[in-house]
Amino acid sequence: MTGSSKFRSLAIAMGALFVVAGCGGGGGGSSETLAADQTFRFGMSNDITSLDPAHVDSAVDITYLNEVFTGLYRFDNSLKIVPSGAASMPEISADGLTWTFHLRHDVVFSNGDKVTSADWVWSWTRTLRLNDAYASNLEAIHGATDVENGAATITGLSAPDAYTLKAQLDSPAGYWLTQLAMPTASEVLDKKVIDAAGDDHWTEQASTYIGSGPFKMTARTPKQSMDFVPVKNWWGGDTGKLTAIHVDIGIDDVSRVKKFESGGYENVGMANNGPGPDDVLRYKNDPVKNKLLTVYNGARTTAFGFNFVTGPFASKPGATPGADTTNSADPGLDGRRAFSMAIDRAQLADIACAHAITCQPAYGGPITKGFKGYLGDTGDPYAKFDATAAKALYQKWDPTGSKVKGLEYRYNTSGGNTKRAENLQAQWKQNLGVDVKLVPSDFPTLQRDRKKKVVILGRESWGIDYDHPQDWFDNLFSCSQAKVGRGNDEAYCNPAMDAITTAANAKSINDPATVNDYVKAGQMLVNDVVWATIDYGTQPYMTQSYVRGMGYNGLYDFNWEGIRLLQH
Amino acid sequence: MATVVPTALELPDQLQVVGAAEELPEQVTLWQDAWRRLKRNRLAVIGLVIIGVFLTTALVSFVWTPYPTWRQALGPTYQGPTLIHPLGLDDYGRDILSRVMGGAAIALSVGVGASMLASAIGIILGLLAGFYRGKIDVLISLLINISYGVPDLLIALILVVLIGRGIQNIILAISITAWLGMARLVRGQTLALREREFVEAARSIGTKNRKILTRHILPNALGPIVVQATYLVPAAIIFEAFLSLLGLGVPPPAPSWGAMASEGYKAIQIAPHIVLMPCLALSLTVLAFNWVGDGLRDAIDPRMRR
Amino acid sequence: MSRGTLVYAVQRLLLITFTALVVSSIVFIGVHQLPGNALASERRLNPATEQALLHHYNLDLPWPQQYLLWLEGLAHGNLGESLVNMGTQITPLLLREVKVSVTLGLAAVFVTIFIGMSLGVLAAIRQNTWVDYAASTAAVIGYSVPSFVWAFLLILLTVTGLYAWTGGTIYEDIGWGKIEQIPVPALALGLPYAAIVARLTRASMLETIRQDYVRTAWAKGLSARVVILRHALRNALIPVATILGPLVTGIITGSVVIEFLFGIPGLGQEFVTSILSRDYNIVIGVFTFYAALIGLANLTVDLLYPVLDPRIRY
Repeated sequence: MTGSSKFRSLAIAMGALFVVAGCGGGGGGSSETLAADQTFRFGMSNDITSLDPAHVDSAVDITYLNEVFTGLYRFDNSLKIVPSGAASMPEISADGLTWTFHLRHDVVFSNGDKVTSADWVWSWTRTLRLNDAYASNLEAIHGATDVENGAATITGLSAPDAYTLKAQLDSPAGYWLTQLAMPTASEVLDKKVIDAAGDDHWTEQASTYIGSGPFKMTARTPKQSMDFVPVKNWWGGDTGKLTAIHVDIGIDDVSRVKKFESGGYENVGMANNGPGPDDVLRYKNDPVKNKLLTVYNGARTTAFGFNFVTGPFASKPGATPGADTTNSADPGLDGRRAFSMAIDRAQLADIACAHAITCQPAYGGPITKGFKGYLGDTGDPYAKFDATAAKALYQKWDPTGSKVKGLEYRYNTSGGNTKRAENLQAQWKQNLGVDVKLVPSDFPTLQRDRKKKVVILGRESWGIDYDHPQDWFDNLFSCSQAKVGRGNDEAYCNPAMDAITTAANAKSINDPATVNDYVKAGQMLVNDVVWATIDYGTQPYMTQSYVRGMGYNGLYDFNWEGIRLLQH
Repeated sequence: MATVVPTALELPDQLQVVGAAEELPEQVTLWQDAWRRLKRNRLAVIGLVIIGVFLTTALVSFVWTPYPTWRQALGPTYQGPTLIHPLGLDDYGRDILSRVMGGAAIALSVGVGASMLASAIGIILGLLAGFYRGKIDVLISLLINISYGVPDLLIALILVVLIGRGIQNIILAISITAWLGMARLVRGQTLALREREFVEAARSIGTKNRKILTRHILPNALGPIVVQATYLVPAAIIFEAFLSLLGLGVPPPAPSWGAMASEGYKAIQIAPHIVLMPCLALSLTVLAFNWVGDGLRDAIDPRMRR
Repeated sequence: MSRGTLVYAVQRLLLITFTALVVSSIVFIGVHQLPGNALASERRLNPATEQALLHHYNLDLPWPQQYLLWLEGLAHGNLGESLVNMGTQITPLLLREVKVSVTLGLAAVFVTIFIGMSLGVLAAIRQNTWVDYAASTAAVIGYSVPSFVWAFLLILLTVTGLYAWTGGTIYEDIGWGKIEQIPVPALALGLPYAAIVARLTRASMLETIRQDYVRTAWAKGLSARVVILRHALRNALIPVATILGPLVTGIITGSVVIEFLFGIPGLGQEFVTSILSRDYNIVIGVFTFYAALIGLANLTVDLLYPVLDPRIRY
């Protein structure tokens, strides 16, 4: 039921924008009477972590980067990749190793400085030098990792003239175009401003926070508010009808809805700061308020993961992280399967996500439903709830109860995680007779424990960066990640699976055979029960009836250029 | 704790030292007299009854509740009161009546536990500071003065974050912030009492200091101590509720009233019963303890003896 | 102000500074004994970046050295930089927030004294009537019900309720910035203490009224009654002034929860956020501010005391 309405709204949104084709703005036509005050207001729970494209990491912060900066390419509202700073799609050589970009001649920063190929080279070099979360978006270039390790220039990147960029890749990378469209690490920055204001300080003041995007920041009070306005005569086209965007910081989800109801906000949901599940339920059940609620397909999977090298669920107890964990006599397999089958995901989604509105039960593997690599609605054989089989399997695996003595489930307290955790605990107790202790913590502590491989059973979650399975496998399930510890907290290492995904990474994602390869790899994951996937997140939005052009495409909010407020 | 303790005791001129010139015979009849007066105080009696009810509920909950307090999906979530679930179901589909019962156990454990621990520490240190003076007194007075400069909630918050969230840790954290108030009271009492004649008398016949403290000073200071300790219980219960509200109270699925209230608040417009029940239970318990505390204070106040 | 008072004030100021220093030092040192480094935020840092960040915050130095650097900064009024939101300077942030909290706190104190004393006086002059019993019961309920429950009720009433009943014309807006956003949270914060003040006022007034000279003057007539009332009221202020210290501390404590519920960007909310996000630099800064704030508040109260009770002299 929820599913069909979600698809309907997404389809409508996509259809509408198919007409407008990308650049937002003015789609409403002359039949709309616009309000005099075109200020768009919304609120957030926490302050942003970083506004620097080279440092940014969270989906919340990316929302703003999307509007203030530009990359060579970008996603339009229907997630189609279109040129932005580049004038056209890239020329790729036959062997896939040389990419040539022709740049637009009219790109300028909001302070008037012109953008040339030198700026792009400088910006990308800076990103690699700072080597933070999304520097990986540029690692496909030959010599990029050298810069991360201290080299001064990217040997594989050159600027033959002021409006051409040439990149040499180490190996064909079908996904690189997608990475370039992400509004983060590869966006162009103004060297003059950053050098003057300081690499660490240029984002603090609105006056030095300069980008080439359709909007610019005019005010920022830490932990209180932010303000943006459109850039006059923006080189990229129409910046739309909004005259100002005001963001309140420090308003929690309950208060956001209250302010929305008293007319203080145009929307709740922008920048990944949506309403809480109880309010969503209230709106769903109210005939009038229901019209203001839209639930979009989300791009996040939540699961619980098992430790493959330590503890009762380990497939190869005692192995060092990064070593092969495949084991035909896997001693933890039955336990992992039992724990997964013991969970009625429908009940969990009902309870933790307000009757399955803010999330949907997951039956198709780690990759979120609706994205490439999804295993299908019955793709995960151990996601199907079967209490009797689970209990029997559990008792066969652990007849004395010694294996689960003192078992802890670790998670970070945020959003609906607490609800999920408490329901998991209740279901394991009820269906397996096992007492799992809940150990909530903040995120840094959880991360530390995961890296130390102390977490035996813990919450896992991944928000999609772009619609490509490589995002999942390379970050979460590969042997090299198990060693390094930036992802793959389970320390799962399956060389056969890695071989399949590495080969697929080099091929074009538009080829169905490539997608099939990823699906095969995904099936190995679910058979080994690396993650017991429990739900796919949805994004509920509350929007005032007089707002047009608001939406969400599964990864990002619709661009601000398309939003307008009608008279009300 | 200087937060919600009703403050007759904070007024220096109302701090009466209990006990007159004679000692032991007076003391026995004093307590009997106090008990008689307490019984006549209607509100205090009601308070005692309420506490009795909650105490019984708490004890029963250790052995039996209508449904397990942790069991979810017993019915449709957010459901209002029905015959089989007289207080309704919460947002997880858990039985609220069972959880309120469990919450009584937690509240009373935290309240009484913290009060007793804080009192024990406070009494010992207060006696030592007031009697022996010297370095101990300087240190304790300094601590008391510094404690005026920092809100206890902040210290407790930091402590809980550092040492973890179990029920014992919370009792510990609350006690660490609460013992200073008791120490201050006991120190004041001791300072006044040590000058009294019966103490001089005891000293002159060679009674050891420890005996003087335990046999002479402490019993005479007991009145205000008991009153303060009684007031500490509801203060500790509210304190834990504050912590739960901020997400740092007794960890889930423990049915502490504060945690239930903070969860229920989010659903207050679709299911007000979820937040109402624990708030009601909490307020009644605190009210009861406050009435009893007031009654005790009036009962031992010699100025009201007629 | 007499010379004695001046000396007293200076002594107290020194004590406050000392206390603030001690408190923040304890927190600083305590925090730096924690295992692991303070920086693992939501990101997954690679070693080189992590090193650079540690260096940026001086976290790669031994902690005694960090402490000295921090003291030096403190002497210049610089409390450092936020660990979680890089680039955010702590001192201006906390200064802005302390203004918010102080405004709210003063409003709450005003509510407390105004409502509390009015209720107390009413109960006293109508002693043993239904007014008295009603007021006394209201007072006990007032301080038995925790302030967050009052906050729940008030939010429900003024935000949702009013909006619904008046069709959206009158309502309370969540947040901070407009003057009409002050009364409701101040009410939630001050009600429990107003109840305590009410009881105190009643008791004190009853005591004064019972005095013989009062009874005599009362019999003399209306104008005398008014004079007595004023005199009794004046005396009733003294016990209130005595608990003003703990009252202010209590309000500052309560503001942590109230700010959180009303979305008010004050010091209390900052403290909770920074503790939960392990932003230790801010935590240390907040403690320093609180120690200074409470010290100053208590000093103000103590300086006001002789104004109310001329018997007190420093």
